[in-house]
Amino acid sequence: MPITRRKFFKVAAATGAGACAALTAPPQASAANRPADPGFGMLNDSTRCVGCKVCQVACKKVNELPAESTLGDGGRLFDSPRGLSDRTYTLVKMHRDEDSGEATFVKEQCMHCLDPACKSACLVLAFEREETGAVTWNSRKCMGCRYCMIACPYNVPQFEWHRAIPDISKCTLCHDTRLVHGQPTACAEVCPVDAITFGHRDELLRIARNRIAADPDRYDPHVYGEHEVGGTGVLYLTKPKVSFASLGLPPFGYKGVPRLTESIQHGIFKYFIPPVAIYAALGGIMAFNQRRNKLKGETEHE
Amino acid sequence: MNKAAALRLKFWTPNVALLVFFMVSAAVFSYFRFFHGFGSVTNLNPNYPMGLWIAFDVACGVALAAGGFTTCLIVEIFGKHKYHALLRPAILTAFIGYMLVGMAVMFDLGRWYYIWHALIYWNGNSVLFEVAWCVMLYLSVLAVENVPAVVEEYKDKVSLPGPLALFNNLVNAFLHVADKVMGKVAVFFVLGGVVLSFGHQSSLGTMMLIAPYKLHELWFTPWSPLLFLMSAIAVGPSMVVFEASLATYFFNRKSEINLIGDFAKFIPWFLGAFLLFRFGDLAWRGALPAAFVPGTYAYAFWVEMALFIIPFVALMNKGVRFHSVKLFLAACSVICGVVAYRFNVFLIGMDMGPGWNYFPSVGEFAVTFGFVAFGVFLYKLAVNYLPILEQQH
Repeated sequence: MPITRRKFFKVAAATGAGACAALTAPPQASAANRPADPGFGMLNDSTRCVGCKVCQVACKKVNELPAESTLGDGGRLFDSPRGLSDRTYTLVKMHRDEDSGEATFVKEQCMHCLDPACKSACLVLAFEREETGAVTWNSRKCMGCRYCMIACPYNVPQFEWHRAIPDISKCTLCHDTRLVHGQPTACAEVCPVDAITFGHRDELLRIARNRIAADPDRYDPHVYGEHEVGGTGVLYLTKPKVSFASLGLPPFGYKGVPRLTESIQHGIFKYFIPPVAIYAALGGIMAFNQRRNKLKGETEHE
Repeated sequence: MNKAAALRLKFWTPNVALLVFFMVSAAVFSYFRFFHGFGSVTNLNPNYPMGLWIAFDVACGVALAAGGFTTCLIVEIFGKHKYHALLRPAILTAFIGYMLVGMAVMFDLGRWYYIWHALIYWNGNSVLFEVAWCVMLYLSVLAVENVPAVVEEYKDKVSLPGPLALFNNLVNAFLHVADKVMGKVAVFFVLGGVVLSFGHQSSLGTMMLIAPYKLHELWFTPWSPLLFLMSAIAVGPSMVVFEASLATYFFNRKSEINLIGDFAKFIPWFLGAFLLFRFGDLAWRGALPAAFVPGTYAYAFWVEMALFIIPFVALMNKGVRFHSVKLFLAACSVICGVVAYRFNVFLIGMDMGPGWNYFPSVGEFAVTFGFVAFGVFLYKLAVNYLPILEQQH
């Protein structure tokens, strides 16, 4: 039976530091960061999106979110609201590629990463990656530290700045409202032009590759999210002349975002050996110096 | 060796009134923060979810309380008992500092009433989990390390006011037990405190590494934990010098320049090691050219560097170390350098995406000043009524 980190800490706390040096413990389970079954996801085909925003409305309806207006703040009319917020979990925006000048509509929402940085960062386990593939947030655990917002490379989790008792809010892939009842996400269901495809992630990757193969002039050959940040549940296609970066999808690396911090933390506290070793070493130095000081004191007195 | 003694000066002075003013103004803003949401007080926004309160009150607060564990390391573990007079004030200020960090965290948590969740929901993958646990445990250790001062002052002299006098004997018995137990277990706490400090001081450096695409390359390095620890060790003695200098000035005490000047000789060693590592890391990662691209990042970097390098050079000179004003200024520079370093990692070096900017609001500043004032207030209270500072004749 593999010992999870959590269990290990519990055992360590119960049996004291001495038992922590148990070298027999197997390697930590955290290395297996990518789930065997990545669950469901969505394929956003930006070449098909016409910017009708029906998905935005459907999302508001199913999540019971109030309307939000940013009219009158000087920005462009179409992009209202301007970005994700505690009241807007998904948003269609118009982007213009600076090099080609070509405009594209694209939908923005939580990427439902396979190795979510928010989940790794949260100290109270408020984020969970469900079996459905949805990354969800638990109101009963969260203490509102907002470290998840720092951790998310896509700045997805939002915070209720104007409530005394605030929640973190973000797209849930309709996990509670629809997925568990066997229904697809609300945004995918209402899309009139099939720009949003809901399905199993493996299936979505296959669909994406087929589309690229069938019409190579229409598509950039890359499927965004297949490998970025360790893989995401939401995948994107774009036109050849429109870079993913111009759509707000930066060329992130293929390594999971939390890999570095987790390996540092697990290195520093590996089976508690380093802290215990430092404790012992400092104790030795202290004993040595006390003895030396004592001897010195005695010789001075003589 | 001189004995420490309570100062017993007149407590309510104009300076204390000033402290109270800052605390009251912080309380006014905190009313809005707690009952009308962050939006009513702070300039925090979706792209800058952590601001001044985390960057200064927590990240800098923890570093500036490093005087406690570094002095412990030098005096108790490396056996340099001639600096013993500096130990109690350092441990006291560390305790006050960590207490304020804990309170500041409560201010910054959206759902502060769930802070105890850190005790039951464990995510060992989270850097913040480690920081939270180490800070909690170290605060407890510091509380224990301050017990001898309380015992010394009140043992066999307990006289509680009014009806509480009934408990005089009970409290006194407790103090006797504490005295006896402390004599036997103090060494474990001394060591534990240092190890815990190593843990969370370094983990603070790991915190922003969760955002590899947001933190600028001048600060994003896998060695950040070690650099944070080394900078904390460098700022520890500087904080001791800073506090001792201020105590000398404000309490009209005899100058301790011979002691703190001698103690300051550790600073250039620690600082030099830090700088060596800092530049070594930048060069090794090939990030040094970024320091010469004009812009906010490069300027912020050089301000940070100047604040470290100037005192490093200055404090190698004996004339500076034993001149009370020059020493004080050098210590201030190291302190500002560490503050700049922490700000660069937690705020300035973080490019959080387009469309949003952040500068702290008046309310955020007021709350931060209030915490600093409360810390000074507690320090004054403690040295006035507990044997912290050594007697002078």
